[in-house]
Formats: sequence, structure tokens, C-alpha cells
Amino acid sequence: MTRSCLLLAAALSAAPVAAQPPVSTARDSAIHVLNRLAFGAAPGLVDRIAGEGVLRWIDRQLAVPTTEDPGLRGVLAQFDLLRTPESELVRSYFEAQRERRADRRAAPSDSAMNAMSPDERERRMPPEARELRGLIMQAPQLVMVRAVSSEHQLAEVMADFWSNHFNIFIGKNVTRVYLPSYIEETIRPRVFGRFEDLLIAVAKSPAMMVYLDNAQSIMPGARPPEPGRFAGRRRALLGLRGGRRLDSARLALEERRPSGLNENYARELMELHTLGVDGGYTQHDVTEVARVLTGWSVARPIQGYGFVFNGWAHDRGTKTVLGVEFPAGRGQEEGLLLLGMLAEHPSTAHYIGAKLCARFVSDSPPDGCVDNAVAAWKRSGGELREVLRAIFRSPDFWAPANRSAKVKSPLEFVVSAVRVLGGTPDATPRLAGAVGRLGQPLYQHVAPNGYPEHEEDWVNSGALLNRMNFAMQLAANRVPGVTVDLDRVLPATSDHSVLIEAVDRLVLGGRMTPRTRSVIAQQIAEITDPVQARAFALGLAIGGPEFQKQ
Amino acid sequence: MTISRRVFVRAGALGLVSFGFDPLFLSRAAYAAQGVSGPARGGRTLVCLFQRGAVDGLSMIVPHGDEQYYRERPRIAIPRSTVVDLDGHFGLHPRLAPLKPFWDAGTLAVVPAVGSPDGTRSHFDAQDYMESGTPGVKSTTDGWANRYCQNAREHTDTPFRAVAFGPQLPRIMAGTAPALAIDDLRSFGVGGRAGNGDRLSRAFESLYEGSATGLLATSAEESFEAIRMLKTANPSARGAENGAVYPRGKLGESLQQIAQLIKAGLGLEIAFADMGGWDTHVNQGNDQGQLALRLTELGQALGAFATDLGERMRDVCVLTMSEFGRTIRENGTGGTDHGHGTAMLVLGGTVAGKQVAGSWPGLSAEARYEGRDVAVTTDFRDLFGEILTRHLGARDLSAVFPGYAAGKSPGVIRG
Repeated sequence: MTRSCLLLAAALSAAPVAAQPPVSTARDSAIHVLNRLAFGAAPGLVDRIAGEGVLRWIDRQLAVPTTEDPGLRGVLAQFDLLRTPESELVRSYFEAQRERRADRRAAPSDSAMNAMSPDERERRMPPEARELRGLIMQAPQLVMVRAVSSEHQLAEVMADFWSNHFNIFIGKNVTRVYLPSYIEETIRPRVFGRFEDLLIAVAKSPAMMVYLDNAQSIMPGARPPEPGRFAGRRRALLGLRGGRRLDSARLALEERRPSGLNENYARELMELHTLGVDGGYTQHDVTEVARVLTGWSVARPIQGYGFVFNGWAHDRGTKTVLGVEFPAGRGQEEGLLLLGMLAEHPSTAHYIGAKLCARFVSDSPPDGCVDNAVAAWKRSGGELREVLRAIFRSPDFWAPANRSAKVKSPLEFVVSAVRVLGGTPDATPRLAGAVGRLGQPLYQHVAPNGYPEHEEDWVNSGALLNRMNFAMQLAANRVPGVTVDLDRVLPATSDHSVLIEAVDRLVLGGRMTPRTRSVIAQQIAEITDPVQARAFALGLAIGGPEFQKQ
Repeated sequence: MTISRRVFVRAGALGLVSFGFDPLFLSRAAYAAQGVSGPARGGRTLVCLFQRGAVDGLSMIVPHGDEQYYRERPRIAIPRSTVVDLDGHFGLHPRLAPLKPFWDAGTLAVVPAVGSPDGTRSHFDAQDYMESGTPGVKSTTDGWANRYCQNAREHTDTPFRAVAFGPQLPRIMAGTAPALAIDDLRSFGVGGRAGNGDRLSRAFESLYEGSATGLLATSAEESFEAIRMLKTANPSARGAENGAVYPRGKLGESLQQIAQLIKAGLGLEIAFADMGGWDTHVNQGNDQGQLALRLTELGQALGAFATDLGERMRDVCVLTMSEFGRTIRENGTGGTDHGHGTAMLVLGGTVAGKQVAGSWPGLSAEARYEGRDVAVTTDFRDLFGEILTRHLGARDLSAVFPGYAAGKSPGVIRG
């Protein structure tokens, strides 16, 4: 008791005046911040943070200058994806496409392809395609490795939050080859920065432009300048000769060439990325935003694949968005002004403030905490670090009613389970695959709204059973793609009450309910093998109701 | 009866016989145990299939008799020569040809201009509205299928009354009535195919009984009931019948498992499956291409389902739905953008088939919604409501679609 009072005092001593004092012991507070600002506790971490001072730890997490933990460098070295230049990925993609087309001429019909098993289809893939697929599949696993092992936990939580807020779907055409740069260069360096910078970086990212089709959106009737030299090269590239084949190929190219406005990105930009669906825009605004952003596209291979502004595709007329007139003829600058205006809009501060509070505080974010977030947003001009700080200092964040009250998402559940056992994922995509089977395949949410944050979306009978199964496998060290050294974190013992005590401390921070304790004791009563008893008790604790909450 | 059902389930499948009351359940349990086929006695099933992403209704049910259609879509119209004609004006996309025999047999109806009264062109809002059943009202917390189950209490509760195929329970089934999300029937349970499943089930069951609250507690309770019933009925042992061949892929797999649940007589009343890939903004294609591929899978899966169930289809109704339709005019990128009215298919033994239901507004400029989209002439609640009433026997729709004064029924179910 005295000790915990001292720790509480230590926690408070790091608190700036405005901060609300945590209401319970320093250990409780440490568990709470590890549940929300991190992917759960790891062996020894609760005591370390309680000792350091919870508020000091929060400040340290917020102060992380880059998003990469130097301690991870060795682990990340296994990921070839991080060393492969984007140009190489794009080249492989188009090479694979070409091979596939060539293949198709001699290949089975659609229906025959449909009738193949995924394995057969995989075998039939050209080697380029298979290799590319292998590389891209490292991306979800990178999420796992970082979430489990990084010390910059809050940065990883925010990387998950923003890559979900600005969701893309790797199943859509070429989007997948742009995913690595999208995550590493667009999202991760900006998770604590100004929202406007993040928004602009996303708007310019090839991944988003391809995913939501803005790369294809042009002023109706605009035609690209096509000097004879380039047309000739294109023809040569396609291996075309004169005659009928040329005509039909040219026709095909012509048909695929974009020739008009596409509203997809314009709509989601306002509905999902900034203002929110009730943020006060109309269909007219959507069309006008699409006009403003005509010409924002992805460069051709020869120009280096990155962002390009195609002046020829841009609508040079006057536009009006949300009642604000955008004078004619300002080209790319119009888009930047527009993004700035959306980033500064009060609806945006409110929409994203509430979304952050839903993530960190409660599925139904209390008004007080949203107000604090919005006030910090306005004060700082959308500095995300300050918005987060305001949320973590809000009384709602610390309110007892909001602790252990959110159900973990599948990602949070799997990562926290691995962390609590001190496990290490390998570089194969298998642990990420486990998250997918629990209902949250990473980068594979098709719709731009990203994965939901409410418990109703994650808790249902089937999903719950899958979590229990995962827990049992992990507790027996039988989850492919991850190793847990159970003897290190929880030595086997034939004394069941010692075992249960240790499981409680390790998995539930010493807060196991008496009922859970007695059920586990009853269930392992007949098991004489200490290793089996340990696996059973651990599996029940991780698959049980308390560990589903955070 | 509902209470006794719960008691029975809790006591375990074999416990029932010794209780000795509730004859309906005895007979149902007997069906399940002996493998007698057929849906639960007197029970009908509604299968909802959501095409997420807004299917282009004009490519699914093609108004090939309308010149305007071909003028608006120079690159992506379905050529007249390949459309599977239905009534001289409308036809099926050629890849939906497997459904033509059901049209001819009078068990398939199409509704070409159905949708929401709400004008949103947001996928998420529109899907939300179609699943909550309350267009324009976002605060609704449950789905209409769940509210149907909450209110039609004369039907018996079994854990398999409402089942959604997929890892997550969709909005349409969310709510206080029990509903199951099943990703794959074959691996539904604890312990997988390993030997210690029963013991683990018991352990987790008592853990959740004692320590869980709220949603975690009720979901767990439903899970363990379902595991016990599945063990007895073993639906996965039932192969496809009548030479039906399901296409590879999630949709075919889900529909086959829905058929297995129906055959096992587990009391399935509302089933749900979904399929993505309909948001064709770019290069949608015509009788070939992207959209054609998705329709191939849909046509084959639905065809296989109806063939597999054969005679049992007399008690089954399949309804396709999608959040809205797409622009009448093709866009600048060989695709279509978010529109308004779309087409839905209704297939089954109770269907007043071989008809194009609801009124067709046409494609002329003055008939369009906001000058660009197919107008909605059938509110989706009128279509869904009619199926709930006439197919499933719902008595009161006011709780299922609150605040809605029903309009004209499209007349897709035989009275």
C-alpha cells in the first residue's frame, strides 16, 4: 500500500499542472496506458512504467522524434521489402502483367481459372508475380513485428490508426506496389505531425490516387499531349506492327484512356478523411472538389512513378467548394488550398477528435474529451501530438468507467497476447494471417472507411470462438510464425495455486476475478503434467473474457 | 415455448428427450438426429445476399429494348446479341444465364428500379441504411433482420435462426436477438478438429458464464449452444445434390453451407452472405471484363444453390440487394459512378416469378433521379417487407421498419 502510494506520487510528480491525477494506483494506471497507448503489457513493463511515472512515460511516447525504434533495426533487416525500391516493385508488377497477358492467350478460360484452387492458381502465377506477392505480403507482417516489439508503442498505435483512417486496399490493381512507400514514407513519418501535412502527403500518394481513382480523373474532353516520339516508343514497347492488329490495339488503348471526371476520391476526402459525412457538404461540393483535383495523378514509369500534376488534365475553370470560390487557372495550387481549407475546417477537428477519442477513451466518446481534443486542435493548428496530449490529460481518459471497457480489435488481441507472453514473430506472413482469420486482414479492408472501432463490430459468436482457439494454440506455443518462450515468462509448476497466481500476474496484471480463478482451478484440477496445466491455464486466461477487454 | 427451447439447449441436445415436453422440438431434434432432410417443419428460409459496392443494376438486368441505354454507354453496354432476353425489353447479363431456367420455371422475379428513398451516394451510409432498415436515420443501433427476429416470437429460437457467413456479424443482423456469424461451418467450434474440443468448450463456457458481461456474455452463450447442435446434426456431411456444382470462392462456399444448414433442419430462418467487387468506377467492361467476372461467380453460385436444394427450394427465398445503383451514363474511365436505383433478384419457390416487378421509370432525362441516375420506384422496404410478410409470415412490420408507412408491394411473393 505504501509502495503504491509512493508510485502514485511518482506518477504525479511528472504531471504538468493541467493534468488530471489518475484515480487509482500507479500500477493500475500503467496497465491502462499500456492497454490504450500501446498494444498491451509485456513482461515487466507494468512495474517499469509505474516506477518511471505514467505521465512521464506518456510524454516520452509522445516525444518520439522518428517513428522507428532503433532497437528494431536488426529485426527489420529480415524484411526485403524495406530494401526494395518502389521502381523495382512497379517494374515487377507490370512485367508480371505482361507475362500474364501473354499466358492468357494460350491459357484456360475465366471459368477454368475460377475452378482452380488457390494453390493451383498460385502455381500458375508467373515467377515475377509470385516473387512480388511474397514481397508485398511482408507488409502486414511488418505491422505485427513492429506492434509486438517496438518500444515506440504509441507511434505504432498511431501508425495503425492513420493507415486505417486513410485506408487503402491492396487488392485493387496496382495499389499494392505503392503500399510500402505509402506506409513507410507517407504515413509513418507524420503520425504525430500536423494533420494538414499528413492529408496533403496522402493526397499526393500514388497509393491513394490509384485506390480512389483520382489518378484517372481528368477534365472531360482533355487529351494528353502525345508527341510523335513518345507515341512511337509506346508502339514499339507494345511490339506492334502495322495492319489490323495495330488498329485493334490502338482502339483498346484508346478505350482505357481516361476521358472524364471521377468523383470517388473527392467524396471520400470529405466524408471519411476530413469533414465527416455530416460535415456540411453537398453533392455539388463533391463534383467541385473533383474538378479542383483534376490533374493530380501518378507519373508514368519513365517519369519515376511518383506524384505528378498533369496541367493538361486540369480543369481551368472557376470552382466553388463549401461556398468558397477558387479562382480560375491556379493549377496545382488550388488543390493545396483546398486541402488546407478542409484540414482547418471545424467539422474536421470535431470528426477526427471524436474518432481519436473513440480509439483511446470509449466506443461512445464522451463530449468532454472530444471538446478537449477539438480545443487542442484549434489552439495548435491541427498538431496531432497536442491533440493526443489533450486526450490523455482529459478526465474521461482516466475515468474508472472507461478502463477495461473497450473490446480489443483482432489486431489488438493478437498483438497483446503475443506481447504478454514475451513472444517474437518471425518475418513470414503467418502471424498477420492469424489476425486476418479473426476478421481483420491487414490492408485488405476493401472499403475506404477502414476497420470499425466499436465492440459490436468485433464481438460475435464465431469471432469469439476463433479468439479462444488462437489463445489455446499460443499458450501451447503452436501458433505458426511466432515463438513464445514460456519457460522464461512462466516456469511450469505442479502447484496449481502458484501457477494460477503467476498466470494472473502475467496475463491480467493481477486483476483476475475470483470466478475466473476458480473456473481455471477446476478445469486444470485433473491435469498432472505441469506443462499441460500451464498451457491450459494460460490459454483460458488469454481466451477468456477479461483479456478481450482493454 | 421460447423458454423451454432455451432450457433444452442449455441442457444439451440429448437432454431434450428426457424432458419430454415440447413436441415440435422433439420432432425437429429427431429430424436432425436421423438426418431427415428438409427445413424445420413449417419453417421457411430467407437468404439475403448483399452485393457490396453498389452493383450496376443496368448491367445485371439490361434494358436492352431501350435505345437510350446504348446511347449512354458506348463502351460498356451489354450488346443486344449477348443479352439473355426475359420479356422483350429486359434481359439478363449473359453471365447470369444459369438463372434463366428459374425464370422459365416461374421462380425468378427481377425488380429493376429499387432502392432507398435517401439520396446519399456514400457506400457506407447507404449500406448502413439498407441494413438498419431506416434510411436517413443513423442512430438506429440494430439491423432489420435482427428486429424481425426480435418481434416474430411465434417462431422458435434456435442459435441457427439467423446466421451470417463471414468473420464478422453484419449490421443487418446486429441487435438483441441471437444471431451467429460463421466463417466456415466445418471449423466452427473450439479446439478445431483436434480431440479435446468438448473439454475446452466446457471450460470456456463456464469461464464466460461466470466472468463475462454484456455482449461478450451473450455471444459466448450463443456460441456454445450452436456448437452442441452442430455436433448432433453434422450438416457438413451433406454433399451437393442434383449435380449442383458450386463455383470456387467465398460466395459459393457460403451458399453451399447455407444449403447444408437448411438440409440439416436446424431452424435456419434468415441467412446472410455478401460479396464485394461491384464498385466499378474504372474499366467495368461489358459482356466481358471485370463486372462480367463477378456476375459469373454470382450466376453460378445462385444457380448451384437452387439446383442443390431442388424440391426444398419451395420453402426458400433468395433476395439479392445492393446499396444503390450506378450512373446511367458511363464515366470518363470506362466505368460508372455512384448512382441511385438498382436492380434486385428474387428467387425461390414462393416467388411470383417470370415477371419484372415494380414499375420501370425508364432512362429518359425527365425520368431520372437528379438528372443522372435510375429513379427508385420501389422503396427497398416495400420489397423486403413483402418478403418478410408473405414468405416468412411476419405479422407486424412497424417494428421492423419503424416509422415507415408501407407503400405499394411489388408483388414478388405469391399471395
